[in-house]
Order: sequence, then C-alpha cells, then structure tokens
Amino acid sequence: MSAVLLIAIPILAAFISIIVKKWSPYMLLFVSFGLVILLGYLPFEIITIGGFSAPYGISLVVDNYSYTALYVVNVLFFLVAIINVCNYKKLGTILLVSLAGLNGLMLTGDLFNLFVFLEISGISAYIITTTNKKPLATFNYLVAGTVGSILYLLGLIILYNMFGTLNMQDMAVRIAASGATDIEVALPFLLMFIGIGVEAKLLPFNSWVKGILGHSNKLTGPMIAGVYAAASLFVFGRLLTEVFVISDTFMLIISVILAFSILAGEAMAYSSTKVREILLFSSIAQAGIAVLIFVSGFTGYAVLFISLNGFSKVVLFLIINHATEVVGSDEVIDLKGLFVNNKLVGASFTATVLSLLGLPLFAGFFVKMGILSQLFSSGDYVFPAIILLSSVVEGVYFVKLLTKLWYKEDNLPQVKFELPLVYLVVVISLLLVVFGLYFEPLHEQALVLVNHVKGVIL
Amino acid sequence: MKNFLSLVLVLALGGMIILSLQNNQYFTAYGEVDITKRVSESYIDRDVNGGTQAVEFGVANNLESGPANIVTAIVADYRSFDTLGEVTVLFVSSLGVALLLASGKQKRLDLHFHPNFMLRVGSRALFGIILMTGIFVIVHGHLTPGGGFPGGTMIASSILLLYLADDNFRTKVKSFKTLESIAGSLYVIIGLVGLFAFDYFLVNFLDNGILGELFSAGIVPIVYALIGLKVGSEISGIIDNFLTEEVA
Amino acid sequence: MLLYAAIILMMLGLYGILTQRNIIKIIISLNILEIGLNIFIISIGFVNGGVAPIFTGQNNLGSIGFVDPLPQALVLTAIVIGVGTTALGLALAKKIYAKYGTFEIDDMKGAE
Repeated sequence: MSAVLLIAIPILAAFISIIVKKWSPYMLLFVSFGLVILLGYLPFEIITIGGFSAPYGISLVVDNYSYTALYVVNVLFFLVAIINVCNYKKLGTILLVSLAGLNGLMLTGDLFNLFVFLEISGISAYIITTTNKKPLATFNYLVAGTVGSILYLLGLIILYNMFGTLNMQDMAVRIAASGATDIEVALPFLLMFIGIGVEAKLLPFNSWVKGILGHSNKLTGPMIAGVYAAASLFVFGRLLTEVFVISDTFMLIISVILAFSILAGEAMAYSSTKVREILLFSSIAQAGIAVLIFVSGFTGYAVLFISLNGFSKVVLFLIINHATEVVGSDEVIDLKGLFVNNKLVGASFTATVLSLLGLPLFAGFFVKMGILSQLFSSGDYVFPAIILLSSVVEGVYFVKLLTKLWYKEDNLPQVKFELPLVYLVVVISLLLVVFGLYFEPLHEQALVLVNHVKGVIL
Repeated sequence: MKNFLSLVLVLALGGMIILSLQNNQYFTAYGEVDITKRVSESYIDRDVNGGTQAVEFGVANNLESGPANIVTAIVADYRSFDTLGEVTVLFVSSLGVALLLASGKQKRLDLHFHPNFMLRVGSRALFGIILMTGIFVIVHGHLTPGGGFPGGTMIASSILLLYLADDNFRTKVKSFKTLESIAGSLYVIIGLVGLFAFDYFLVNFLDNGILGELFSAGIVPIVYALIGLKVGSEISGIIDNFLTEEVA
Repeated sequence: MLLYAAIILMMLGLYGILTQRNIIKIIISLNILEIGLNIFIISIGFVNGGVAPIFTGQNNLGSIGFVDPLPQALVLTAIVIGVGTTALGLALAKKIYAKYGTFEIDDMKGAE
C-alpha cells in the first residue's frame, strides 16, 4: 500500500461526509482506526506523486523518522477522537480533514507542500478551537497562525529565489553545493523558524496559547497540546535535520530563544494557580526542550521525548479538562482532593506526571538520562544545565499540584470519570511504567533513528 | 508606547530583510532571474521525465504534460497534489464558516431595500453573462490565463450578484453542498484511479493530445472543471452563510 | 524595486496587526500582509523582457524566454489559502460581534 492513502482516504471521506452528515462521526472513527492499521503495512520508500520525480514533482518520504511520527500522531489522534466523538458530532468532517493535514505534515518531502498542509491542519485547528466558545481567543490564534505561516512562506520563497528548488533534499543538496555560508541562509532560516515556532508554541511567538489551552475542553486540550504539538515539533525536526544544518552563529540566537522559552515557561507554570495553565506553560517549556534536543543533533532522543510528551499531555489534559467541565473551575483550590474518590485516575495522573518529570521507573527517565548523558559526552554543559534546572522547577510545582489533588478534606469535588476515559488513561500510564522497566525496545528504536538521520544529513 | 515599540520592531524586521536581501550574492535581484538554474525550466521544456520532443505550439503531440498554459501545467499536473490540498483548505474553511454562522434555520438578512423591475431584469441578464464567462474561463483553463479557481470565483460572483440585487433571493444551499461533495470526491477518485491502475497518485493517465488544442492535456481540463465547480459552490455557500441570519 | 515595495507593504500589514485593536481592521491588516507576500512571490519570477508563460501562436517555442511560471502557480495557492483564512476570520468576527456587541477588543468585557 502507498502512503498517499494516509492523506487521500481522510480527504475523500471528508468530501463524502458532507452529504451524509449523520455518518461523519462514524466515518471519522472508522477512517482513523483504519489508518492506524494501515500504518503497519507501510513500506519505507519515497513516493512520487503524479509520476514526476523529485525535485520536479511532489514526493512523500516514508523513512524511520516519518514512520515513527506517523504512528505517534495517528494513534494519539484516534484516542482523542474516540473519547470525544459522541460529544462533538458536528466536527466529524473537520477532524477528518485535520487528520489528513497532520499526516501530510509528517509525510511530505516538499517545502511548499508542507506549507499547504500547515494551512490545512492550521485552519482545521482554528475550527476545532471554536468549541471552546471563546471566539476572541480563536481569532487571536487565527491571526497568530496566519502570520506564522506567511513568514514561513516568505522564507521559503527567498530560498527558492536563491537555490531554485522546493524539494527538501534537493534544497539541502543545492545549499551544500553552492557553498553558501550560514549567514547567507540566515534570513530565510530564521523566518521559517519563527513561522513554525508559532505553531510549536515557542515562547516569543506563542501569545495565542493561553487563550486557547487556558479555556480548553476535552477535545481541544488533548488535540492542541498533544496531537498538534507533537506534529509541529516533528515538522521542526524534519526541517532542522534534513534541510538546515545549524552552525555556531545560528546556535547562539536559537539557544537564547529556546532557553528563554524553557525557563520562562517553567517560571510561569510555577507562579500559576490554575491547573490548565500549569499544564500549558509546562508544555511550552517542553516544546523548547524538544527543539533544543533537535538542534543539538540527537534526533532519536528528540523523537522519543516528543512521543512520550504527546501521550502524557493527552492523559493530563483529558483528566483535568474533564474535571474542569464538571466542577466549572480550574483553580487548584477548587479541584483540591480530586483524586481521593478517583484513585485509579489519580494513580494514572501521578504516574504520567512522574514520567514527564523523568523519575526512575518511568519511561521519561531513560529519555532524559539518555539526552543528558549524550549532551555531557559531547562536551556541552549549558544545555544540560538548562534541562536540569527546568526539571527541578517542574518537579517542585508538579509535586505541589499532586499533593493538593490528593489532599483529603471534607468538601471533595464530586467528579465522575466515564469508563472509556478511565481505560484510556490507565492503559497509557501503564505503558509508561512498562516501558520504564523494559526500556530496551525504545532505546533500540532511538539508536536506529539516530543512525538514520546521520546517513541523510549533509 | 505599544505603537512605538511595534513601529521599531517592524522597521527593524523590514530593514533586516531588505538589507540582507541586498547584500546576498545568491539572491537574484528583480528581473535578473536565470530560469535555467531553477526547476521551472523543466516545466517549460516538459523534460522532467526525459522527454526530448521540441515543445511547439500546435505541433507537439502527447508531451509529458499537455496544457499550453505553463502555470496550469504546474498547478493541475506537475504539482497537482498542492492543488488538492488547496481545494481542501477552501473546503474546510467554508465548512468552518457554516459551522460558526449557520446553526439552525436561516433566513435572509434584511437589506432594507426592494429591487425595482430594471434591477431585477438587469441582474438576471448579467447573471447569465457572468456565469458563461466563468464557464468559459474554466473550460479554457489549460490554454489561456484562468482556470478552475478564477472561473469558480466568477460563478460565485454571479450568485453574489443575485443575492445583492434581491433581498428575498436564496439559493438551494443543500444542492450546492451535494455538488461540492461530488466534485471533490471525483477529484480524489481520479487520483486514486491513477494510483491503482497506473502506479502514481494523480497521474495524468489520458492522452495529452496536441499542445494548444481545446481537447488536449488529458485529465487537466477535467480536474480543472471539477475544481471550478467545487470552488464556485463553496464560495457561493460562504456568501449564503454571510447574507443570512438565524430565525429568531 | 518591486521586491522592496512588497516587503514594505508586508511590514505595513504587520504593523497594523500589532497595533490595531479592532477586529475588522486586524483582518484588513492581515490581508495587506498577504497581498504584500503575493506581490513578493510574483516578483521573484520576473525576467526582464520575459513574456507570460503560455504557449500561443506567437510565443510558440520554449526558448522564447518566459517568466518563471512556478511562482505564479505558488501564488495561486497562496491566494486561495488567504481567501479561506479571511472567510474564517470574518465569520469569527461576526460571532464575536454577536457575543460582545462590538468589534473593539478593548470594549469587550470578560473576553479573556
């Protein structure tokens, strides 16, 4: 089977589903489940569309990197869809289109095609966030996202003027062959970096995040903070490893931006009293860490980090947003003692948070350990210091949050969790523990990815 | 203060972009482009797959891509996948507009205006002319400037004219949705036929004919007609959503 | 020079987005930004003395010196995507007006 189907089937289903609106939720479930199954039969290849080979036609790239990314995004998407499909029946078609857009982002090997899919997934994200019932926040998201993609396109067009191609690999080859120094590609690179940075929630460009995730519901929270965040970070990784090679001059600018993003994110999370805000600020910091690992060149670990982070964020946002919808407030005070009557959900939440922190026995530990040891062995001490510092701050506010949520008092919030949600969060958190104990398979996958990327890079 | 900061930021960004473009030896200045250094050259010479036939108007037969309009060759043939994405963008945003604005039963927005006889007849006559122009532009998309997107927009503008000239007028939104859905599905299905029967998604599997004839370029005119119908019905749907309001 | 004019137009749009506090004006600024970008893309493909990239009875050979057709194809996509975002933005504006009764962001009570 061809990877084009991962994009064509959801689009076809979306086009058909507007005639038979009632079926659209079922089509969504069927298609997103089917794609997860189809992924198992995906051969590694470069797919030519329209019979015109790269760099002239558009090509889709299925390699280790995009394969892992596709798996993570599709599985997460399916899980979020299955939990929410009954409550948001009207959004079936939109979600199908966004699935096609996300798959396209992971697959495409063409820079302009990437822009098109960025817009498909972006516009469907704007529509999904209208379910927050905060039109002004959605409007701000739309403006920020559009400006971001315009800057990306500006950078891309400047690159096209300079090197005359749109294909990623061809671009990398031509940049290397022309002997252009990093100063000469600095402008398009920074414009594209900012453009995708908007979607990936890097700090100076993410004014939209608070309005969207701070009022998110059970659909938008996991979708934007989990699925979309993972997808945009994977796109970042694709560009940073296949098109651009970061050299010292860039490194300084970018590490300042990233360090700012990480530390400020953690600081804001520390000072916030709302659970959703704590989660969203910590995910800003985590996005910064992921990009930091990409620019240091440890692609395999970055992929693992993003994947674990995506799953964890889905669990955390599902639990908190469900509780918030019932209680009507996301202040920590109002949710105090939430887990006393929901021990199973509470245990999953705790396990996920501990994995996110990188404590031993959880999957996050090995990823963080691997990253730190790699960074240390490459003789870099600034990045590990930033990561360690952020972990400490993270530890403090998450432990504070956990103790409050487990705190036993007289006036407990009455929250019931539905069975599917409970199953889902328990299974994911169990997996985090299991992979924490048996880390070898993940580790091997990471090494495969590292080797793969070394082969492709200039 | 905020305005001043924004001004400084914008000036700095603009100055940075202009200066770095000016001082960049790889950035070709306005008008001094050398097409031979870009991938576009092969789109003009039609030699992506190693074709050696000279591209001559009215003579060249069954080139790898048949439209005489090179932009159309790129939009609907070489980079047709982008166009599918583009159609999807328009599709999803028209859906979003409908989701936001068209909840429940709709009625026309009251424009406080009643058309007289001249306006009604005149707008109907103009409607036909605009519609025909739109269809002409779509059908000749592979030969002349234009094609599915401008033509579809023209069709939608003829609908807009009817909406503006008469504040009781409403189209059948439902039938537009059906048209949109069928046109879009057919586009994908053509692509899938290419994938399963001819190995490539969206491959041009019909005979390309002689460059410059009306019946040439294989699937390109078909795809462009589908795009035109789809764009026309989508934008008409958006117009309807903006010019109606919920029945109180 | 057209290149720099397009950049200046883009920066005007960006300035509008950063400073305006009215929803409609922000959408207009966004459009100015988009149009500036579109002019930039088109001007990237211009060749001195080049003709429109269409084979006709007069311009019947590839060696004639067409302008670069690829940016024109890209700008078509960019325009359509711009239409999509603008339509969605205007629909949101209508929704915001229905909710708060104003287009001025500063006058919206309890918006954030």
